[in-house]
Amino acid sequence: MTTQNSVSSPTDANKARRRLNFGFDRFSGLYVFALLVIVFALWIPNLFLSVNTARSTLAQEAITAIIALGLLIPIAAGVFDLSVAGSVSVGAAVALWFQTNGFPWPLGVIGALVVGVLIGALNGVVIVNLKVDSFIATLGMSSILVAMSYWATDGKQVVAGIQPGFIAFGQFKVLTFPLSFFYMLILAAILYFILEYRPAGRRLYAVGGNPIATRLAGVRTGRVIRGSLISSAVIASFAGTLLAAQLGNATPDMGAPYLLPAFSAVFLGATQIRPGRVNVLGTLVAILLLATGVKGLQLLGAPTYIPYLFNGLALIVAVALAVRPTRKTKG
Amino acid sequence: MTPVLEVNSMSKTFGEQVVLNQVSLKVEAGEIRALVGQNGCGKSTLIKILSGFHVPDEGGSASVDGEPLHLGVTGSGVARGLRFVHQDLGLVGSLSTVENIALSKGYNVNRLGMIRWQHETHLAQQSLSELGYDIDVRAPVSSLTISERTAVAIARAVAETSSKPRVLILDEPTANLSAVEAQKLFALIRSIAKSGMAVIFVSHHFDEVFGLADSVSVLRDGNLVATVALADLDEKRLISLVVGRDLDERALSNGPEVERDLVLDVTDLQGPRVRSVTLKVHAGEIVGVAGITGSGREAIAGLLFGAGDRSGIVAVGGTTLPPGRPDISMSCGVGLVPAERQTNAGFAAFTLTENITVTNPQRNVRRGILRKRQEAADVKVWLDKLDVRPPAPTVPLQNLSGGNQQKVILARWLREDPKVLLLDEPTQGVDVGAKADIHSLIEQVAEQGKAVLVCSSDHEELVRLCHRVLILRDGVVSAVLQAPHFNSDEITALTIGTGSSNGMPRTSNM
Repeated sequence: MTTQNSVSSPTDANKARRRLNFGFDRFSGLYVFALLVIVFALWIPNLFLSVNTARSTLAQEAITAIIALGLLIPIAAGVFDLSVAGSVSVGAAVALWFQTNGFPWPLGVIGALVVGVLIGALNGVVIVNLKVDSFIATLGMSSILVAMSYWATDGKQVVAGIQPGFIAFGQFKVLTFPLSFFYMLILAAILYFILEYRPAGRRLYAVGGNPIATRLAGVRTGRVIRGSLISSAVIASFAGTLLAAQLGNATPDMGAPYLLPAFSAVFLGATQIRPGRVNVLGTLVAILLLATGVKGLQLLGAPTYIPYLFNGLALIVAVALAVRPTRKTKG
Repeated sequence: MTPVLEVNSMSKTFGEQVVLNQVSLKVEAGEIRALVGQNGCGKSTLIKILSGFHVPDEGGSASVDGEPLHLGVTGSGVARGLRFVHQDLGLVGSLSTVENIALSKGYNVNRLGMIRWQHETHLAQQSLSELGYDIDVRAPVSSLTISERTAVAIARAVAETSSKPRVLILDEPTANLSAVEAQKLFALIRSIAKSGMAVIFVSHHFDEVFGLADSVSVLRDGNLVATVALADLDEKRLISLVVGRDLDERALSNGPEVERDLVLDVTDLQGPRVRSVTLKVHAGEIVGVAGITGSGREAIAGLLFGAGDRSGIVAVGGTTLPPGRPDISMSCGVGLVPAERQTNAGFAAFTLTENITVTNPQRNVRRGILRKRQEAADVKVWLDKLDVRPPAPTVPLQNLSGGNQQKVILARWLREDPKVLLLDEPTQGVDVGAKADIHSLIEQVAEQGKAVLVCSSDHEELVRLCHRVLILRDGVVSAVLQAPHFNSDEITALTIGTGSSNGMPRTSNM
């Protein structure tokens, strides 16, 4: 009783602080993005303000964005999926394995998707049925997937036997933008619709918010978690086929560099648009923001370590700022 | 001879509420003192003052062997030789007995700063065998039985630290123990008392009080009612001291059974803490379940809903519900408002809409799209009906008071229009006004022909609401009370009595 009283009366100092906080509210990422564009545009106008820059940034980041959007689904349900990078590698390897063995390339893409379903289902069994912590389960799975990608590619870069249709699938451009950019937009639209306008989205967030309460509200939480893991794995292996098609080759463990950026984007995104909740638009804003910063710094000729530094600092600073107001209200 | 522990005119007020009023106690060396009283009588507050957790009001004092305690300073009680064993024992399950004991007393180290494990293991082994337990002190505590864990907690409490242990204070140490294990624990407590320590022992089980203690102090509404040697007391007298008046020895008849549809039919329900419970709830009936914590009262509602593993038959309107499937229970027309809203029911950061529609977001989907305006209108109807304040669908649940949060959880289930409503502590942490609202809501729900089961430790609430109250003791129904022939004191008496020779007639055919 006494504690309730002390919580419910915000002091004047608190109010003042909240007023100052509005700048770092739900659209802070967009403000910072605008600021970055202006700074780089004034600094290096010739290099930064070109169509080529925009195009190459979008092409590079589309794959990361697709993986991050897939990853967002299990994170919304409160489970980690560290195996997305592994799914990317295996997706790429499987798509090329079909082609080098003489099957038509669309079969390779379908094969990669099927393998994605299997990976996600297996993750689900380990996490839901065997009750292994998702962090550990998917950590183990990601190592298994790296092994699989080495086996499927024979440990070498696969370049031979790739069909022209497959290359076109990855490199075809519409209105000068690569196809993967449009895949990303379509995926984002579908996911946004499901999370915001379908009961499944409500259940997903509910499981992430309070799994016990969700189960006692008559929701089959195990099924929600399994579904989320299958989604992330399928989307990641699709991203793997896109990556292979874009590059025209597959190397073992080629998904690895995407893991941390994807996680960063999801968590940074949780501070945007709908603060406190991982969400589609926030994730896209986060990717845009990080990509712009990194691109600008690269064009400035910053040393190679600077982009990594920028990514890391941006994530930590943004999340630290975002948790401040909630701490206040808890008092 | 100076008493070991002396407490003088100790008071504590929270806001307006006096929870402890001028309580004075003396406990001698070698004495085992039981501390009894109903929930909320001030027992825990007194213990928390002694442990330094609460700061008492001005004017109170306490001393150990004549040395005054610094009240309100954490650890000051321990420094003077007070030792506490709380109901949850406070052990770290993944650590061994040796490590748990060392958590409070520290490790012996050799000259290189390395822990002398052999020595520590030997010490732990020795202290437990002195208590009559022969266990593997290197195994994780979570692998021990509950009575062994209790022994570890006691061994830790009486281990020498910087101060010599003088008073052992046990807060409901037997709540999780079987009768045999409890006996073993009693032998242990007696040997500790014999060694010259004073023991204070909180319990709801009067058979334990009579079997173990030398004397008993009774608290009621924050006042110390009496301190009596147990030799001068019988159980009936003790119950009337606890409850505050003599009990009518009125016959508890079953009353005429009204012909109504049987909705909830439970046969031989078994699960954690529940040994065998058979009960029936008819349409329009409100049935209460009373019992101390540990009696199974706290487990029944969840078990019926399928939250945990159970055996026995649970049927709703003739359909048998499978265990472990809350979703099927829900689709068969059962709703559960669980106890401990924060953990089991609420989504603190989510909006009222999301909290209410989580059971059934499908309802406002038209042509595949969740219609948010329609959903908000749907939710608004329920917020108004239950007088939730503020009635704003987009406000996060955590911004509401406890009473309003509870109404939101009720709205979640009333919206489902269930045939059976299971309520576990429906007014826990709820203010007086909201409590009255919730009570009249529950009555309305029953009038609409739903079967309602209310599990509650608030006995006034059961009297206010229920047509029939089942008393649970030790996992079985020990008595059934039929309205209007009961009051809250009788319920209390039945939940804490020993079940023998207290002159209470009881029926047991349900």
